[in-house]
Amino acid sequence: MTRRVVVTGIGLVSPHGDTPGAVFDALMEGRSAIARWTSAGMPPAAVARAAFDVSRWFTRLQLAGVDRVSQIAVAAAELARADAGFEGLDDRSGIYVGTGMGGAAAIDEAFARYAESGRVPPLTVPAFMPNAPAAHIAMRAKVHGPVLTYSIACASSAVAIAEAAKAVAAGDVECALAGGSEALLVPGAIRAWQALQTLASPGSEDPSRACRPFAADRTGLVLGEGAAFLLLEPLDAAKARGARVYAELAGSGVSCDATHLTKPDAAGQVRALVSALRASGLSPADVGYCNAHGTATRAGDVVECEALAQVWGDAIGDLAVSSTKSMHGHLLGAAGALEAAITVLALERGALPPNMHCGPQDPACRVSLVQQPHTEAPQLRAAISNSFAFGGTNAVLVFRRCD
Amino acid sequence: MSTLEELKQLIHKTFDIDPTTLKADAPLEEYGLDSLSLAELLFAIEEHFNVDLPDTRSSVNTLAGLAQLIDDLRTPKAA
Repeated sequence: MTRRVVVTGIGLVSPHGDTPGAVFDALMEGRSAIARWTSAGMPPAAVARAAFDVSRWFTRLQLAGVDRVSQIAVAAAELARADAGFEGLDDRSGIYVGTGMGGAAAIDEAFARYAESGRVPPLTVPAFMPNAPAAHIAMRAKVHGPVLTYSIACASSAVAIAEAAKAVAAGDVECALAGGSEALLVPGAIRAWQALQTLASPGSEDPSRACRPFAADRTGLVLGEGAAFLLLEPLDAAKARGARVYAELAGSGVSCDATHLTKPDAAGQVRALVSALRASGLSPADVGYCNAHGTATRAGDVVECEALAQVWGDAIGDLAVSSTKSMHGHLLGAAGALEAAITVLALERGALPPNMHCGPQDPACRVSLVQQPHTEAPQLRAAISNSFAFGGTNAVLVFRRCD
Repeated sequence: MSTLEELKQLIHKTFDIDPTTLKADAPLEEYGLDSLSLAELLFAIEEHFNVDLPDTRSSVNTLAGLAQLIDDLRTPKAA
């Protein structure tokens, strides 16, 4: 059985808020949610924090052993279900969650307390285990089918969505909540990323401009936090219940560089792009927009442009590209899901969110960047979202208008 | 403040449960505490009262029992 799979619900807890339409509006305006972060004894960083009122979702008693990464996952998944108006979650439904680190706050607190007194909070393990977000969503939504977690660094939630779509297409499940969650804006985790020398330095400039994908003067990535979920179901089922269809998930491609743990490889990315196009039955000319991985690292942006140029060939100039990380930062394990949601909204609205803060473009990054806010694209029929991970795994999701 | 009253305030602070609803002799499960939240409460008690609860503590499941245990642990042993 192969069924067409569509997105009927979007749920977000993001640096630009938790209302998909308003999040997309803010991105179209080019508004950055990135701000300066400081902590005693540490160099400053630029981060994109997601405002979240936990009391809307949990009582204090329910919060015992529930890390922030699970809290925002529960909220975003429920928002996606509600957005879809889907009432029938049961043992024929599945939950597919990507997360890079799991419960970072629980780990940070446990290690700090251990160093200080040797005493560690008793719920540290259930709080930080990476499959906790998926389990909490399942308990809240009463989903008794497959409840799975994918930890593949920056490709975690893109792979989770790809796997969920395959399960829906094959008839293994009738409905999937698929997405990701990441909440690691705690001192220990930020310090670890600083030590890796990959973060943008906020310097003395305006921190909201710290993330500059594809720019000649880019200095690295900006960590963000948030959760994003899509509700996926078969096209026929969505039509039968009169659901609003945002877009079709036309196909996906996954590959591994198998060359280096952290250095990306164009050949590996090309394999994912080609396989995603083949799976969706589209040719490069059919795709009008690419929500790029574009983390704004020196090496990563160049390699992604090389991969796109190899697949698109002479038509590369017709592919509009933007990295919305310039505004919401890098949500790591949740990045693929948030950017998939943005790509779906771009198709639904016929509009392209900009690649902000790119003054002079790096000549080694020869792609057609969406530089201006409020760029309309009424002819847009199909779009892709790239997620390329540490560890070498590449995931490409292809979405198509469904009308 | 009595240990029992202090314990009620700690539960209020930890779980936002109204202290006036807490009864000394009712099982803690009645207030919605499960094995996980109970573990968190016992850790908070150890921190707050600066005591080490014995491993057999799970047998103590009422506030009065807990308060008694804390008092016993805090009383210096006679030489």
